[in-house]
Amino acid sequence: MIRTSISLFVLMLFTLLAAPALVLAADTVCIECHGGQPGPLGEPVGQWRTSVHAENGISCHECHGGDPTDYAMAMSPDKGFIGAPEYADVPDFCGRCHVGVADAYKGGAHGQALEAGAAQCVVCHGNHAIQRANLDLINEEACSQCHSYERAALIRLSLVETDTMINTTEADLERLYRLGFAVDEMEDGLFNQRNSFHRIFHGVDVERVRAETADVQAEVGKISNQVAEIDTTIQERKLWGSAVLGLFILAGVIFLLVRKAYEEEERG
Amino acid sequence: MQPIKMLVDFVDTRLGVRDLYNKELHGYLLPRKVNAWYTLGAVLLVLFKIQIITGILLLMFYVPDSEKAFASVQAIMNDVPYGWLFRMLHAVGANVIMIALLLHMLSVLFMSSYKGRREFTWLTGFTILNLTMGLCLTGYLLPWSQLSFWATTVATDAAGAIPVIGDYLVEFLRGGATVGNQTLGRFFALHVVGMPLILLGLIGVHLFCVKRRGISAPPFGEDYKASEPLPFFEHEKHKDGIPFFPNYFVKDAAVICFFIAFMLAIIFYAPGLFFPESAFQPADPFLTPPHIKPEWYFLWAYQTLKIFPSEIIGLGVQGAFMTFLALLPFIDRSPERRPGKRPLFITCYVLTILVFVAISVWGHYS
Amino acid sequence: MPTHVSPPQRRKFLFTMLGGLGVLIGAASAWPIFRFLSPVASGSGNDQVVVPRSEVAAGKAHFFDYRGKPAVLLQPTPGNFVALSAVCTHLGCVVAWQDQAGEFLCPCHGGRFSADGQVLGGPPPKPLETLVVELDGDQLKVG
Repeated sequence: MIRTSISLFVLMLFTLLAAPALVLAADTVCIECHGGQPGPLGEPVGQWRTSVHAENGISCHECHGGDPTDYAMAMSPDKGFIGAPEYADVPDFCGRCHVGVADAYKGGAHGQALEAGAAQCVVCHGNHAIQRANLDLINEEACSQCHSYERAALIRLSLVETDTMINTTEADLERLYRLGFAVDEMEDGLFNQRNSFHRIFHGVDVERVRAETADVQAEVGKISNQVAEIDTTIQERKLWGSAVLGLFILAGVIFLLVRKAYEEEERG
Repeated sequence: MQPIKMLVDFVDTRLGVRDLYNKELHGYLLPRKVNAWYTLGAVLLVLFKIQIITGILLLMFYVPDSEKAFASVQAIMNDVPYGWLFRMLHAVGANVIMIALLLHMLSVLFMSSYKGRREFTWLTGFTILNLTMGLCLTGYLLPWSQLSFWATTVATDAAGAIPVIGDYLVEFLRGGATVGNQTLGRFFALHVVGMPLILLGLIGVHLFCVKRRGISAPPFGEDYKASEPLPFFEHEKHKDGIPFFPNYFVKDAAVICFFIAFMLAIIFYAPGLFFPESAFQPADPFLTPPHIKPEWYFLWAYQTLKIFPSEIIGLGVQGAFMTFLALLPFIDRSPERRPGKRPLFITCYVLTILVFVAISVWGHYS
Repeated sequence: MPTHVSPPQRRKFLFTMLGGLGVLIGAASAWPIFRFLSPVASGSGNDQVVVPRSEVAAGKAHFFDYRGKPAVLLQPTPGNFVALSAVCTHLGCVVAWQDQAGEFLCPCHGGRFSADGQVLGGPPPKPLETLVVELDGDQLKVG
């Protein structure tokens, strides 16, 4: 009897805890139908769940169109349903949101040779399981599917420094944010620089990448200087704070010594 | 020295301060075996004073308006010179006060100092503990962060479990259907004026009780004897005791210094200790952040509400426990105070602490 | 520490040290409070204050903020501009412009000033402070 009530209780607890997750999963009709389907019709749902898009609340209909609230009309072209784009249409498909990068891509070697089958977005980034982009996407295995790695390696090399700089500065800003510092402006600035940076190398032109990353580096450098200034302030505060802390400990110890002197007297 | 003596003479001939000093400070004798736990009262007085000073300073820049509150706290932290220091002292100070209050209560329980006709002292002290938790709860909302907003939403929502009047009570606490500007208004008024005034009064009564009844000697050592109190009022004297001032006062001062050093250590070496990420996001009534948790001293209450199958039972258990604790001096009538001679009490004491810690840890990780 | 130092002597020494520490801790607490309460720097410093000419009609007065204090611009005759501090020299109230009389009247104690700031009557001890004003295109630059 007791055991039953305990398990019942655990079950209720579990249901309570699990409730919010269930609500999230049941959000669109796309996921409700496709989520249960086998093979290529259902797989994208699971892949999408691990993606940076899912993390930011970008769901199926935001790329594929259609009505995510209407079972019957969800995939009607009248409701703006697009479905899967053709190979050469992918840059426009993604470029509806990623405007700057798409522009740069189309102006570059890849974009120019798109009709001839050159790499487009999903060749490097993948589709449904797409992750936050990082420099590891430029690697010998991926690039040499189509051409030799030499030029790509050069571009990657010229990106590493800026990429590291942006990433460290971002981590710094996050740290300062958690200490209560107002970093909104610096974050906006960094966000803009990251965008221009991404735009630059999608044109896959070594010379341009070299010239323009310098500007990005200068701007990011300004932000990291501000970070360094705040860090100096923190260090100064810590120094003074430690000094005052030391004064209090010293005062406490001396008070204890005074107490000891009284104790000796009290003993007589 | 002459001018100082003249000044003291001037005041003394008018107010009799030397007599006061001789009777109430130097002549106020404490039991010889008085230990470090007896300093916590003085520590708390200083900590409350720090809250009042930093609170008044913060009040000069804080704006109690749901549109502006978060920005005003941001400005205090970033733009006002040393605003960060006073804000941190106030926020960390609240947590340190809770630590000191709990230690104070636990040491009084361990030594059974509530015995010997000290029911009033215990009751006022217990009320002070609850009022301080009220101050923590109302103060928590003021920065208008995600943490503030949702912690208050969850805390006020718990009142909804009370039958019949629950739903109305929730709205009454909030001043509206949801936490909003009206909630901020009433919490602000209570936090900066209402509760501090009552608290000051209660501290006064508490000190009066302590002083009037006389300090309770620690129940340790060979010569301690449990004695039945007399049927009439008698101030508990300690004839061969030590003067409160300056002999014992310096120990108070030492522990006060160590507590302040502890506060400063948190502020400068672990500033994020009491600030989860949601404390830095402005309140958004349409987005509940994940993992919203109350402060550590409310975790036990939060978790008991979750582990009982219905909230009303949880509230009932909490209420019953707090009532039991409040009435403990009336329930526990035996004159014996030595922990060694009270095995049942000490077992319950240790078990209760362990259960509270366990429930809090569970609440933290659940 | 030598054992022959008696507790009262030791205490005297320790209390002296505590006195010193008390001064340091006192200073360390007072300084942040002093800085916290210090007035904010009054922004613009010595910048010129620019007012569009259209704001100042002939025969009317235009009140504006001049480096944190109230001031007034007048156009007594067309094309002629006067800028004055609007703070009465008596007890610091802000003077009001009387369209009909063409003069300032301080509402606090009845002090009267002419359009160029001279005392016409009442308790003010000095004229209103005159500010430099120049016309630059369709903008008035004060200061």
